[in-house]
Amino acid sequence: MFPNTTKFLVVDDFATMRKIIKKVLTELGYTNVEEADDGKTALPMIQAAHDAGKPYEFIISDWNMPGMQGIDLLKACKADPRFKNTPFMLVTAESEQKHILEAAKAGVSDYVVKPFNSQTLKGKMERVYAKHYPNAQPKAS
Amino acid sequence: MSAAPKVEALNPLFDKRLINAFVDGVLKTLKTIANTEATPGKPFIEPQFVLKGEIAGMVGMVAPPLKGTLLISYGKDSIFHILENMLGEKHTEINGEVSDAVGEMTNMIYGSAKTTLNQLGYNFEMAIPTVISGKFNITHADKGATLVIPFNLANNSTFYVEITVQ
Repeated sequence: MFPNTTKFLVVDDFATMRKIIKKVLTELGYTNVEEADDGKTALPMIQAAHDAGKPYEFIISDWNMPGMQGIDLLKACKADPRFKNTPFMLVTAESEQKHILEAAKAGVSDYVVKPFNSQTLKGKMERVYAKHYPNAQPKAS
Repeated sequence: MSAAPKVEALNPLFDKRLINAFVDGVLKTLKTIANTEATPGKPFIEPQFVLKGEIAGMVGMVAPPLKGTLLISYGKDSIFHILENMLGEKHTEINGEVSDAVGEMTNMIYGSAKTTLNQLGYNFEMAIPTVISGKFNITHADKGATLVIPFNLANNSTFYVEITVQ
């Protein structure tokens, strides 16, 4: 699983959802969490963090946002060789097949459907970790 | 897989599946993000808008050829109770943070109901909610009635889900 020092970027236009995700991450032991309120704000932050040598190691983004949607932020990250391997999870109120397929096609690491609790997010993060680090030894429980 | 069921031609407000989709969306959202149990009361039809509470989340629902509105109205007692359970925050006045939370909950409840309804053959599209507070009135452009579903909370407060479909 991702170490507790993992640097997260949470992108959502609703402060409440950012608070909920931050609360859930804290419950899971992650405290290095920064926030952006839409894709347009997030992209320069992702670039600046990388240039400063402290890149985000996990991006969690809402899908449905004004300005720049989560799916477009995902596509922008995947198109940039600097961020294309950064784990990227989409949070969405959509659980419909066409959206899931679009996200998968764009290269999303995983997606979580709102509303969700800490156990659901933890399970998704474990899947993302296994996908991005297939050779990592599973931690004995 | 069989073809999607045909949406009944009668007014969707009489489609029990539509009511159940919204009831389930509310219960699931509150339980999951706020660990809050709500008890749905008896739905009723309201011919004209009546103000209920101090703040509401509203979303325009589009499912061609249907158009409608989802309004979720809270009094201070109900929204402050939900927020305390959801974020551990005690609020005593309606402010930007409360509005933000109402907007996000509207988003989740509509998203949840919409997924269920679209699986039943409706074709609702996603939309960004609006939050209104204070003393407001809503005049629907059509002559349609509004279905109101009350939800009761453990602190004896009530909030209301109002669905208008043209």
